Amino acid sequence: MQKLKRLAAALLTAVLICITLSVSAYADTPYVTYTINGYGQIRQTQTAYLAHATITKFGEASLASPSDICLADDGLIYIADSGNKRIVVGNAEGELVRTVGEGTLKNPRGVFVTADGSIYVADRDAGKIFIFGSDGQLTGEYGKPASPLYGDEVSFLPIKIVVNNAGIMFAVCESNTNGIVEISPTDGGTFLGYFGTNYAATNLTTIIYRMILTDEQRAKMVSNIPATPTNLTIDEKGLIYTVTRGNRNDTLKRLNIAGTNMIHNTDGTYADTPTSVAAGNHDNVYVADQQGYIFEYNNEGEMIFVFGGPDDGTQRVGLSTMVSGIAVDSNDRIYVLDSDKAQVQVYQPTEFTNLLHSALYLYSKGRYTEAKEPLTSILKMNSMFDYANKAMGRCYFREENYGEAMRYARLAKDYSGYSDAYWEIRNVWLKNNIITVILVIAAIFVVIKIIKVLDKKKQILGRPRAFAGKLRENRFADNFCYAFRFMKKPADTAYGIAAEGREGWLMPSLMLLIFMIEFIISKYTCGFLMKTVMDGRYEILSDIGAIIAVVAAVTACTYLVCTINEGEGTVKKIYTAICYSLTPYIIFMPLNYVLSHVLTNNEIFLTTMLSVLTYGWIAVIAFVGLKEVNNFTVGQTVKVILLTLFAALILALLIFIIYVLWAQVFGFIGALVGEGVYRLGY
Amino acid sequence: MDTKKPNRLLIVIIIAAVLLIAGVAAAIVIIMGAETDVVKGTHSHSAPEPVTGAKVEAKDGFVQVAESDTYRLYYYEPQFSIRLENKKTGAVLDSTVSDEKDDGKNNASWTAYMKSGIVINAIIGTLNTYQVDMNTVKNEISTWYIDNGIYAKIHFKGNYYFELGVEVKLEGDDLIVRIPDESIKENKENTYISTVSLFPFLGYTYLDEQNGYMLVPDGNGALIYLDNKEGRYTTGFSGLIYGIDDGMTNHTSVSTIWEHYETVTEANKVIAPVFGMTHLDDKLGYLGIVESGDERCSVEVVPNGVMVDYNRCFAKFLLRDVYVQPLNQSNSGTVPAVEKDRQHSDLTVRYCLLSDDAANYSGMANAYRRYLLDSGKLVQRDTGYRTRVDFLGTEREAFLMGTTAVTMTTTGQASDILAELRGLGVNNVLSVFKGWQNGGLYDVPVSSFGADGSIGGNSGIKNFVKTQADLGSKVYLYDDALMVNADTHSTTYNVMKMVNKRTFKNETHGQVYDMFYYLMPGRSLTDLAHLTKDLNGAGIGNIALSGITETLFSYSSKGNFYSRTDTMDIYEDAVSAAGEMCGVVTETPNAFLWKYSEAMLDMPLSSSDYLYLDREIPFLSMVFKGIVPTYSEYVNFEANKQENFLRMVEAGVYPSFYITAEDSSKLIYTNSSDLYSLEYASYRDTIAEYDSALRAVAEKVGTACITKHEILDSGLVKVTYDNGVTIYVNYTGSAQSDGDLTVDALSYTVKAGE
Repeated sequence: MQKLKRLAAALLTAVLICITLSVSAYADTPYVTYTINGYGQIRQTQTAYLAHATITKFGEASLASPSDICLADDGLIYIADSGNKRIVVGNAEGELVRTVGEGTLKNPRGVFVTADGSIYVADRDAGKIFIFGSDGQLTGEYGKPASPLYGDEVSFLPIKIVVNNAGIMFAVCESNTNGIVEISPTDGGTFLGYFGTNYAATNLTTIIYRMILTDEQRAKMVSNIPATPTNLTIDEKGLIYTVTRGNRNDTLKRLNIAGTNMIHNTDGTYADTPTSVAAGNHDNVYVADQQGYIFEYNNEGEMIFVFGGPDDGTQRVGLSTMVSGIAVDSNDRIYVLDSDKAQVQVYQPTEFTNLLHSALYLYSKGRYTEAKEPLTSILKMNSMFDYANKAMGRCYFREENYGEAMRYARLAKDYSGYSDAYWEIRNVWLKNNIITVILVIAAIFVVIKIIKVLDKKKQILGRPRAFAGKLRENRFADNFCYAFRFMKKPADTAYGIAAEGREGWLMPSLMLLIFMIEFIISKYTCGFLMKTVMDGRYEILSDIGAIIAVVAAVTACTYLVCTINEGEGTVKKIYTAICYSLTPYIIFMPLNYVLSHVLTNNEIFLTTMLSVLTYGWIAVIAFVGLKEVNNFTVGQTVKVILLTLFAALILALLIFIIYVLWAQVFGFIGALVGEGVYRLGY
Repeated sequence: MDTKKPNRLLIVIIIAAVLLIAGVAAAIVIIMGAETDVVKGTHSHSAPEPVTGAKVEAKDGFVQVAESDTYRLYYYEPQFSIRLENKKTGAVLDSTVSDEKDDGKNNASWTAYMKSGIVINAIIGTLNTYQVDMNTVKNEISTWYIDNGIYAKIHFKGNYYFELGVEVKLEGDDLIVRIPDESIKENKENTYISTVSLFPFLGYTYLDEQNGYMLVPDGNGALIYLDNKEGRYTTGFSGLIYGIDDGMTNHTSVSTIWEHYETVTEANKVIAPVFGMTHLDDKLGYLGIVESGDERCSVEVVPNGVMVDYNRCFAKFLLRDVYVQPLNQSNSGTVPAVEKDRQHSDLTVRYCLLSDDAANYSGMANAYRRYLLDSGKLVQRDTGYRTRVDFLGTEREAFLMGTTAVTMTTTGQASDILAELRGLGVNNVLSVFKGWQNGGLYDVPVSSFGADGSIGGNSGIKNFVKTQADLGSKVYLYDDALMVNADTHSTTYNVMKMVNKRTFKNETHGQVYDMFYYLMPGRSLTDLAHLTKDLNGAGIGNIALSGITETLFSYSSKGNFYSRTDTMDIYEDAVSAAGEMCGVVTETPNAFLWKYSEAMLDMPLSSSDYLYLDREIPFLSMVFKGIVPTYSEYVNFEANKQENFLRMVEAGVYPSFYITAEDSSKLIYTNSSDLYSLEYASYRDTIAEYDSALRAVAEKVGTACITKHEILDSGLVKVTYDNGVTIYVNYTGSAQSDGDLTVDALSYTVKAGE
């Protein structure tokens, strides 16, 4: 009879599972999956994981505010069932295997299972770590470490725990800001020290505050103590991952044995309220956000996917209310524990994600040619998946197919990959063409020499020279040359502008125009490594507007300030001087532009240096020009420039105030109209 | 010249004579019509029968008021409650909770709700939280006994002074409940009817007392089982038929990560105004069809454990709503306001009663199909198999100060692609050409025929359509007819304003265009008329419509308010007029447009994944199969291709692909940057595979309809057609058998009829 009952129960469960599984297995997902592209933009992609099944009960055991989940190697699920003061052990089919620790545990908040089946439980209210054997018998417990290094004043409230192969326990303790507590099992628990400590972020504002505030005020400030990690996990290699809320770029850390963080990612793609972390099977790591977002990162901390989200009350499968734990099994299924819904939501990887994982695996094993196969399939499904483009580029690079490597690196915006591939290509080109290049240079040199010699003897350049001389008499050409003379002899030419009538509107404007054209060409078509804008993005109108606005504002401010400082410059003269001082840019930018196309990351400093020189030059001649045009001394000029900057600031402020006032006026009129619309019914 | 003059005179005289005769005839018809109306009025509304004692008394105070071959209708006046009884089996459907089934656990307000045949939600001032039912609000009810039923006039007093008349009639196997528009009166100032729930407990069951399920019109269709939910759910299904009203509520994102990216997708819209309840033990159930008033009505399907422990489903009509009136530009000052006028339409629900073998969801689908065909809301179309291969012509990306064309597929390339597919056996396709118009996909609205030069211009597209037609394929030009792009078109006089007189804005996170508006329905109508006339003239007789086919809103214009009924009428006119000029296919069309569609596109194959749904069923496909061809959503973006394919086999839905000749990475800087996988090279073989497999199934099925859909104990899905063909689909991970037939894992078998 008993048997029959059990059989019936088993059958019923099987049927129920069939129903649950069949419902969610082919449904549309209620969430979108995002990835990040090479520019750091968030982009939609194929569904990475499908909501597969929901486990609301293990057998007859319901959960109450569960707070942690751990998967054993044999696939059993261990849940810290905090509300019911026990550990629930079940399988993925929703069957109850056993419960552990009833009567012993007070508030189990963290659970970890070792390879031999020992269950470690972090019990916050008991202030102890309990260890149960695989049969559920209590085999040991550790209380607050007696070591003075731990700190007498510090309480021991373990909430999360992991254990490494040597049996050393790493526990996150509530309100212990020193870091993760590391305890060795020897001698009934030896405190080994604190591990992976977070550091309090200190920024400029806090430093300034500290300097100027009184002690009392400082005491009232939000204390600047480091955050306690929220959760932790351990991978096969024994590396420990932590997540910490509000730790910005250090939200996710991978700590080596010395406690050093090995992930340095500044994408800003971390969870706002991370609650749990799990190591994947492919050097990847999963982070669950309390609100229900699930993140997958690669071993460099770059985000591969984010999906899921909060349930807005419509109760759709796959959305969560309050996530408290995450775990991953050997088939890459993700188990997300929801403490509010008291359930485990299982997500299953799609074909797309499986391909990505196999590519990751092959790539990490150095099997680049094989890795290209799943990558090709991924790109076939989503040709805009930059992560695959990048890996593809790297694979081609390893295969020494640098052309393709460069193409994929550019698609993926993988600058270092692009630079490496280009270096190789340039190398090959140089190898093949170095003789030709030298010959061509030599030939040009020889030709010039011959012409010079011939000229000396037979004056063959007489006519062109005469033409040049004639041209110089032309006022326009003369002014044109004069502009460039400003570069070499700013003092003399500026004097010319001030006193010899070399000022004008046409020529400076022409210089400004050339400057603008060069600026735009180099901004949008310079070499990939130097490019500051996205491929295919053009904002030329705003570029032109910005340049004109800056030149106009500088001219106006300088003129105004100079006038009240007894400067002799007119608007025309100052404008001329300012525009003429742009000539170094006009001369050197083309060179920089060419360099940007032929240099790799190794030599890119050359262009940076050239830019610095150019801008320095511009600054110097602008200074000299201003001084001469106004007939100032150096001291006066410095004063005027400082005053100009101040004036510019005031001008900006003024514009801002006027804008705000107008916005108020418009808002008021809008409100009046709105009220009228409402009252009159129109 | 001169000879023509007498002729003209003659014509004028003839016309005058004809007009005169016609006028006289019309006058006679009008007078006679009015007379009949008068007769009808006296007949149905004011039959001076006394209220009590006229009919046979039955138990619990219910009196029998009508009888058909299979059913008896009883009526209990104090609660305005009805009871339907199967004469043969004695099984009943009750509309209010009887004393014996009252579990006594509910508060006074819920108890009153459960025991009232009609529940009104009232607005007083601008607060809409008042419940008006037959038990807690003082009321007067007078009932007239008419043929096959009753007409009751209910007068709610108390603070409300609402009046309405309800006609309940049993016609054959159908129960028709109607509240005539003119009978609804709100007699007290500042006191309005917000919603009317008709028989909210009709066919209710308590916890798991009865095996069965309720039909939810989500996606293709879904069921909620009548088992004990143990209080797991906090809400049930509540869906406004034809989608939410963009004229009333601002579109808000459900959830965004990093305050920018929407992560939760929109749930499916309710396109079919139906709901249903089946008691499997009693073999009794019904399919509820909202016949009128559906344009502003929600379907509520609520499992036990949500507020009370009863399973129930019903139609809730929305007559008037409270909206937010902003007082300034920044929306920082707002006041709640009540709509000036209420919704005006008759509120009618037809309950098709189902017994015996028909008391299941197959029976519901059959009843619904029969109803649609009989009432002309669906017409027989050519359902021959075609694979749908859509093309994206041209898009725009930012360039210099404007935009430049990103051409993905020219008409020449599309021709070549279809020719190559033909070589692979894909003989005839249905193809929607998107982004054909001058300025690309998002240069909307389109009001005349002008193809973009980059895809081959007008002549290119004309040739393409014509050659394909000669080869047996159909090409439809895509038109949204709803959206206005603020960057390419003026939005001064033609865009929709919400009821609070603010322009409705649809902000997208597009790369090039980020602000779209809705066209005023009147403009949609004229634009579409223009375009279809042009297309007809150009010899392109086909158009694919979206936007207006799946959207419905209230709006305001020049101080006047227009309801969803107005919008519905205009859209119906627009699509029917388009249908006279062109062949029309529509994207997920709302029910009132079904009869104009040669084919329905983007038919969902799954639900919105609500936690409380127990099983998804291809309900709409069962209705449409054999009558109108339906096409799936794009296979390109499906994550689980195998199961999606099996679903198409199961539902008889034809596959859809979205194809470009160029690589989809070219779209990265366009508004279509979310279309990440389109290029033909990736899909050529897949299209051929899908075509050959699904064409083979379709050929065996022919033009038959689905009569029965079952889920066998083994997990096999068995679909039976009226020509005897059966299809078995196995979604499980292992081979399953039914009798001597075995179906492999994740596979299907088609068995020919005898």
